[in-house]
Amino acid sequence: MSIASWFVLAVLALTLLVDYAKFRRHARRVIVVELVVFTVAGCLAAFPDLATRLAAAVGIGRGVDFVLYLAIIWLVRESILARLTRWEDAERFTEVVRGLAMGSVRRRSELP
Amino acid sequence: MLVAVLVPTYDEGDAPAQVLGELRALAPALGGLVVYLVDDGGAAAVPLARMPAATPEFDVVLARHPVNLGQGAALETARRLALADARHTVFVTMDSDRQHRVEDLPALVAAVRGGADVVLGDRFAGHSRVPPLRRAVLFGARLFEFLLTRLWLSDAHNGYRAFSRRALERIRITQDRMAHATEIRQLVARHRRELRIVEVPVTVHYSRELLAKGQSSLGAIHVLRDLAFRFLFGSR
Repeated sequence: MSIASWFVLAVLALTLLVDYAKFRRHARRVIVVELVVFTVAGCLAAFPDLATRLAAAVGIGRGVDFVLYLAIIWLVRESILARLTRWEDAERFTEVVRGLAMGSVRRRSELP
Repeated sequence: MLVAVLVPTYDEGDAPAQVLGELRALAPALGGLVVYLVDDGGAAAVPLARMPAATPEFDVVLARHPVNLGQGAALETARRLALADARHTVFVTMDSDRQHRVEDLPALVAAVRGGADVVLGDRFAGHSRVPPLRRAVLFGARLFEFLLTRLWLSDAHNGYRAFSRRALERIRITQDRMAHATEIRQLVARHRRELRIVEVPVTVHYSRELLAKGQSSLGAIHVLRDLAFRFLFGSR
């Protein structure tokens, strides 16, 4: 394995450790998903020939391109879905706040 | 025949009380007026007791958002409250920071009573002294809104407007922040065959304090962002 491969593996391991500490109480499934994704990414980093063989099998020149295409598609989709969720949450929040405001309306004519 | 005046406010100090005082003086001539004042979660809650006292022709309805949502959200809250009172036939939207002159309000109301459904204030036809940068940004906004709606209007993003009931019922604001002004134009344009649209000269007052406190010209970028998200995620 090259130095770059060791470096990527170290980053993956460290990220996994940090996320384990962060999510172990309330979101264990995130750790499982990360473990699966990072294991695949780690294999590709440790054995670059594997990615190249996979890429060649589907007609893409370089292994790194094969990984990159999928990663970009996934990241763009995740980004859009996260933004959509935030948008929907904001709409719900607005309606809750508005409901509270409309439920506590006061009139000047009711005051002396 | 009561007039409803929809006024969003956010940390405007004494300005809302002054604007409401002027509106109260105008109320008998307009046949009665109710102000729907929505405090958009300002640091200091608007004190209702310090607003002008109610009269047979004048009243204030105050709602307060527990947290700040944005001017569009406050206007939508005011819209729903005002529409719930069937006595209202004319609805005016205006700012609470004294940027809009109360003297211009009768012309807006008269236009609706004269048969218009949507009356848009035109600051360029009035006596406004619009700063050059603001003028340039507004011209860009006009062009942008024309491309979006195919409706060429003299002024963009002027919050001084009036509506008939049937018009306001069609204008449900979903943009919480400043993009609501463009959204209103889009909704008006969508219903242009059913609604009679006119423009009326109004004077917008610009002072150094108001310009410093108000929407910056860079706010246009946020408006574009919010419109893009609505386009992507909006269900209608």
